[in-house]
Amino acid sequence: MSKPLLTTLAATCALAIPTLAHSRQVTLTAQLKNYGGNGAYVAAYLTDAKGAYAGTLWVAGGKAKYYKHLSNWNRLSASDTRRLNGVTGASVGAGRTLKVTANLADALIDAGYEIHLDAAVEDMRDSPSDVRVPLSTGYAGKPQAGKQYIHTLTFQLQ
Amino acid sequence: MGWKAIHRWLGLTIGTLAVVLGITGAILAFDPVQQAWQAPAAPDNLSVATLVERVTRTIPGAEEIRHLPSGAIAVFSFDGDQARASYVDPADGRVLGAWQPSALPRWVKNLHRSLLLGDAGRWGAAGIALAVGVLCISALVLLLRRMGGWRRLMARVRGSLAQRIHVVTGRVVLAVLCLTSLTALTMSASTLGLVTLDAGTEPDVVSVASGHPDLPVGQLSMLQNLSVRDLRKLNFPNAADPEDTWKLATRQGEAWIDRYSGKTLAWQDVTLAQRVYDWALVLHTGEGAWPWSVVLALVGASVPLFWLSGVFIWWQARRQAPRITGNSSLAQADVLIFVASEGGSTWGFAQALHDALSHTGHRVYTSALELFQTTAATRQVFVLAATYGEGQAPAHASHALERMATLSASAVPVTVLGFGDRQYPAFCAFAEVLEKTLRAQGWPALLPLECIHQQSSQQFARWGQALAQALGEPLVLEHVPRMPPTTALTLVTRQDYPGLIDQPTAILRFAWPAQGWLERLRGHGLAHFAAGDLVGIVPPGSAVPRYYSLASSREDGFLEICVRQMPGGLCSTHLLGLQPDDHIAAFIRSNPGFALPRTRRPVLLIGAGTGVAPLAGFIRRNDRHTPMHLYFGGRDPERDFYFGPEIRHWLGEGRLASVQTVFSRIPEGGGYVQDALRRDAGRVRDLVAQGAIVRVCGSRAMARDVAETLDAVLAPLQSSISQLKAKERYAEDVF
Repeated sequence: MSKPLLTTLAATCALAIPTLAHSRQVTLTAQLKNYGGNGAYVAAYLTDAKGAYAGTLWVAGGKAKYYKHLSNWNRLSASDTRRLNGVTGASVGAGRTLKVTANLADALIDAGYEIHLDAAVEDMRDSPSDVRVPLSTGYAGKPQAGKQYIHTLTFQLQ
Repeated sequence: MGWKAIHRWLGLTIGTLAVVLGITGAILAFDPVQQAWQAPAAPDNLSVATLVERVTRTIPGAEEIRHLPSGAIAVFSFDGDQARASYVDPADGRVLGAWQPSALPRWVKNLHRSLLLGDAGRWGAAGIALAVGVLCISALVLLLRRMGGWRRLMARVRGSLAQRIHVVTGRVVLAVLCLTSLTALTMSASTLGLVTLDAGTEPDVVSVASGHPDLPVGQLSMLQNLSVRDLRKLNFPNAADPEDTWKLATRQGEAWIDRYSGKTLAWQDVTLAQRVYDWALVLHTGEGAWPWSVVLALVGASVPLFWLSGVFIWWQARRQAPRITGNSSLAQADVLIFVASEGGSTWGFAQALHDALSHTGHRVYTSALELFQTTAATRQVFVLAATYGEGQAPAHASHALERMATLSASAVPVTVLGFGDRQYPAFCAFAEVLEKTLRAQGWPALLPLECIHQQSSQQFARWGQALAQALGEPLVLEHVPRMPPTTALTLVTRQDYPGLIDQPTAILRFAWPAQGWLERLRGHGLAHFAAGDLVGIVPPGSAVPRYYSLASSREDGFLEICVRQMPGGLCSTHLLGLQPDDHIAAFIRSNPGFALPRTRRPVLLIGAGTGVAPLAGFIRRNDRHTPMHLYFGGRDPERDFYFGPEIRHWLGEGRLASVQTVFSRIPEGGGYVQDALRRDAGRVRDLVAQGAIVRVCGSRAMARDVAETLDAVLAPLQSSISQLKAKERYAEDVF
């Protein structure tokens, strides 16, 4: 399942983009494992150098009652009232690919920020921070292995 | 729209989808049973701290412990990069095997809850659950109506095989099915976001590093004091995240525990909505209560049975419904025909009249009597009315008189034609009441009341001639009687009794042809019958069936009647001339008023002559040894003691509690059966005071004498036959 949507993240101060000229497009590609369950809920979000929540990139899965199973994201983003603004889509089937495109301010790159993906599947265990990768040019294009539901996560900078 | 229409159309349409949910639900109920046998349940009094210590010893990478609804313990862990889920023996933490959320393919559950259509399907499934709820409620209303109230809910069910399957199954599973629909709606409400289960947002709490290592699990006071009984889930703090906490979910709420100090950082009570949901989940799925899931499986499997039998009932009713061909619209018709029919045969005469009048150029509208009315276009009205039982209106027309009394008369002539049988005292009684009511209200008539005896086509044709004359039209009424479908029965044995002068009698036992269950479900072949019901037999050369009381039930495996030679009787002569392997054409007509209800109360059976036949049938099937007392009146024990050897045998078996016989044509015979009742007045009073049910079968004169005698006998109890009849404790089958 691919979601090539242009996502503008203006939810928090940290992600606010002054002008598009100072931003870069980031494409996340998460390949899911064949874990043999229903569609996975996946939350992609950023934390800053201190590990504090910095903004939500994408939430796959539409039912708010299951968000508590994306436990790290749910806890960290609880105070962010706009965490779901324009960044939600359908859950991701086993073996499918989730593709998320976002415009991120230049200042966020190579500044200690990390991309996290929490994942959860019905009747199966929750997997907070199934995969995490530093948002730095050195990691761009290099697949990172996930723990439970995510096979690999790759991001591309443009 | 009445309950019946709601039930029928909802069942025929959405019921089809409910079948899918029923079957998948029955399959899903396998999971709780399978899980109950998969791994041992944890002892209730085991402390969670002890359990965690045991688990961490055997599974170092444990991240989460779940206390499953089945009572077993599952542990989630990482073995290097490999995620694992295992059943664990709570006694020593030993790994028992891999855990899987379900042994069934996922599509079964997804088909059950969303018809494989995602969110739209979830709304659809909720809609089906709602429809099933409405079907259950309408079913209860119809069930009570059919059985005659709560008190008689458990009474014997009558009707075709499909009807009996539908009603008997319904009686058993209705409550559970209704509960299932209610719990499904509860669960749908939260899934579809109509109800929120959570206690709000999660508290933002972290473990505060103090330079100390993690507190050992055994020292976490909350886990020490918590028994496994209340545990739902425990998440270990993440080794890589120093601020992570223990997260505990119990039956009562959720807690976040500091990994260093062991202090409870936050607590959230379980919401009421969550408690309701948890109950609904257990009741709907049987999770953690496998005997209940077996019940649910059976109820789920009953849904296709309901649907199939329901479709057959609807189809049979459609096939049997009187259908008039060539009906004009009510507003345009100049001739209206209204019909009151018990067995349906009067509709055949109505069709003949309808066709004849249409043929001479009239626009004719035919309908049931309860819809009686006239319009501006109406020039002639005909009412064709049969009589039911002791002069009542046929069931469907029971309110017709009240309705007609509210209409003001017009100048349109209304002509009544009655149908009945002269051998009954209430011959055409209902037609007579109709005639009287119409004339009293001032409606004119084209022809005076005429009563057709025994569905005589000749008499009907003669009435047609009178009608043609009155209308001044060349009208010819030709009625070809429509017979209920008959089955060929084969005589198996006959037991002859000499009877008295020229009245030989025989007990005839017949077999019916073998039938597949599908044929029976479709209402083909011989209908279900019980002792006391009637068999209609059509003698060769006659179009009119004769009825005999049945001395056996279908469960007996044979059909038995007791036939006495009537002087010049076409049917009795035919029957008494039969030899084994000869055939007769027969059909069943139920006799619900006379059938014996399932009861523990004493039963008083009073029969004379061949009238003992249905009573013998009752005794033969008295497997529960209800105290049955038989008074039998004959003429001569040598000549007409029907079922004599069987009666003695049943007495020995305890199927019959006592028997009194009297014979009127021998010295010291005891007179008539009513004389025996008079002599036993005290005993009869005792039985009636105990709530006895009374059944009388014999000739009309005998039944009248018995009723008079019993009225006198019961007078000291301030009781009477009419009171007993009103309570449906007294019924007669007379001939």
